[in-house]
Amino acid sequence: MKKIIIRTLALLLVSISFTTVWAGETQLNANQILQKVDDVINAPKDQDLKVKLILTDKKGKEKIREMSMLQIGSDKRLVKFLSPAAQKGIAFLSLPDDVMYLYLPAFKKIRRIASHVKNTKFAGTDFTYEDMEAVRYSDKYIPEFVKEEGEHFILHLTPKEGVKTDYSKLIMWIRTDNFYLEKMEHYNKGNKLFKIMIRDKIEKVDGYWIAKETEMNDLKAKHKTKMIIEEVKLDSSIPAKIFTKRNLEK
Amino acid sequence: MKIINLIMLIAILIISGFSLLYAESGINFSGYFQTDNRALLKGDHTFSWHEYRLDLQLEANPSENTHFYSEFWFRTIGNSKIQKSSDLSDNETIAFSNLYLKEAYLDIYGFLLKDLDIRLGRQRITWGTADKLNPTDNLNSYDLEDMWDFGRHLSSDGLKATYYLGDYELSAVYIPKFAPAVLPGGEWATALSPSFDLPDGLMLRNYSDKIIMPENNLKENSIIGTKFSGIFFNYDLSTSYVYGIDDLPLINKAKFSPVDAFGTIDISAEMIYPKMQIVGFDLAGALGNIGIWAESAIYFPEKIMLSTDLSELGMGIQESIALDDEPYIKYVFGGDYTFTNGIYVNAQYLHGFIHERGNDNLEDYLMFGLEKKFFEDKIKIMPLNGGLEIKDFDDFKENYAVIFMPEITYYPYDNIELLLGAHIIYGTESSTFGKMNDSDDIYVKAKVSF
Repeated sequence: MKKIIIRTLALLLVSISFTTVWAGETQLNANQILQKVDDVINAPKDQDLKVKLILTDKKGKEKIREMSMLQIGSDKRLVKFLSPAAQKGIAFLSLPDDVMYLYLPAFKKIRRIASHVKNTKFAGTDFTYEDMEAVRYSDKYIPEFVKEEGEHFILHLTPKEGVKTDYSKLIMWIRTDNFYLEKMEHYNKGNKLFKIMIRDKIEKVDGYWIAKETEMNDLKAKHKTKMIIEEVKLDSSIPAKIFTKRNLEK
Repeated sequence: MKIINLIMLIAILIISGFSLLYAESGINFSGYFQTDNRALLKGDHTFSWHEYRLDLQLEANPSENTHFYSEFWFRTIGNSKIQKSSDLSDNETIAFSNLYLKEAYLDIYGFLLKDLDIRLGRQRITWGTADKLNPTDNLNSYDLEDMWDFGRHLSSDGLKATYYLGDYELSAVYIPKFAPAVLPGGEWATALSPSFDLPDGLMLRNYSDKIIMPENNLKENSIIGTKFSGIFFNYDLSTSYVYGIDDLPLINKAKFSPVDAFGTIDISAEMIYPKMQIVGFDLAGALGNIGIWAESAIYFPEKIMLSTDLSELGMGIQESIALDDEPYIKYVFGGDYTFTNGIYVNAQYLHGFIHERGNDNLEDYLMFGLEKKFFEDKIKIMPLNGGLEIKDFDDFKENYAVIFMPEITYYPYDNIELLLGAHIIYGTESSTFGKMNDSDDIYVKAKVSF
């Protein structure tokens, strides 16, 4: 009897140890997956994109915006509106450490903007300033592996302590073949799903995976914005000094 | 009529020309058309503003490292000034119109040195981090034509050179020709003028003045400025220096002439533009999620004496100080925040308004704003825009003004804005804005961008 108890306890101990190790392995795998997602998204040394935005309201009415988007590495991005006329020239620069600038041509002024704007819509689209930042998710979020479903890994992300974000949780659908982020659910601070981003037309351009179309759906407003990449240049040696205030109003 | 036709013809030719140029050489033109009509809330609802403005912007890149920009205003503004039948044949009297070159400059990027940019021509140089009220923004003269368009400046003909070194930049500005500020007209004409205290027993019949402009030479007209800015500890900081000319005139001579034996007098005054030096500092950044900014400017004015000629009243000539050479500081600090429900708030505290000079004359202002967008950003409501003027903290009840500027904007389509708003003032006569107690107005604006 004593032996049985000892064996049972030993088995239990081993099971617990395996469970702990397995859990650790899964956590590690989640981190690895997220690292790969970041690596794939930010694989090009630089990106020079011309983008068309189609805003669709709940009645199906569409509005068109056009912008240019430059990115270097994973933490510097410069966005300039090309149309419509009322927004032409508006430019947004995102730099590391939450440093962001906005150029408003009507005021001829470059304005430093604080992180409170992150949760606001970027020029009327369903993308917020936070969505428009160049970012590595692994720097800001703790990933948790949920499951592998069909051709996707599913990760559950929560913000790291001290990170300024308006999202309480992100759930990612990541392609298992190339680690490209295909779908992402955004949860607000009340832990309620309020936006879904879906990427489509994922193609290899110059050896890098790129989604030619990204759609952001605001579930509450029943409004969506489709971002279509019309022109793309990768690794075109964009100088780092482009990502300064000097270029915001040019 | 002829001038209107001429302006319309010029506008059509320019637009046609721009279109052709655009097609031929990649010149871009854009702009907006805006109507702005205001009427007083009190009395018979007199029209207080009537403006139709066509803004045309022309841009081109003549070569790889150059950029040309210009902006024109074609306007009809003001109310009809018809007084006699002959005025009816003069369209300028019926509806005043003008053509104004707002900006026209050439940018040369990487001039001589790869990190040196220069801008040559008529340009607006916006210094300062605060929202519209910037004590360090002193290179371009104020354009106070419309007092409700806070922060509007004229552009100056000059040269700006900026050298960039990583996160740091050093600017130098040279403006060879001084241009005085445009002062408000109509209801606001007297609001910014200091009150003239007459000796007991005297009554003013006529007041006339003469403006003495700086001599028309480089020495007397030149304005120079320099600014160094960069990012320190994650804050944008800058320090600046301006050697310039105060763009608001100051009375330095006044002659009192008796009209009758009952103490009625005429005053003829002379006004000049004092020289001044200004050292400025500003910062912008964040405290947590809240955006913050601060700006201060130390003014070093030249001493100006006021000579009051009372000799015709038998009291000789009296000398007093119109502007002391004691330095004074204007400053502003503020912050903004956007709540998760989309409500944006902005507040700033200002010490020393545009027209105030000297330590004893600087008043305090609390400016605030709140806005929220609705219906997929089609409607923007700003119910709590305004400010509080405090002339004297010790006697607040008699020295204050509250200003409300609620506004609602409707964006029915892309590039179209329709605005409805009001300017409401409540305050005491002693305060700058309180003087305008009876000038509350309501306005309707329409704007189309192209």
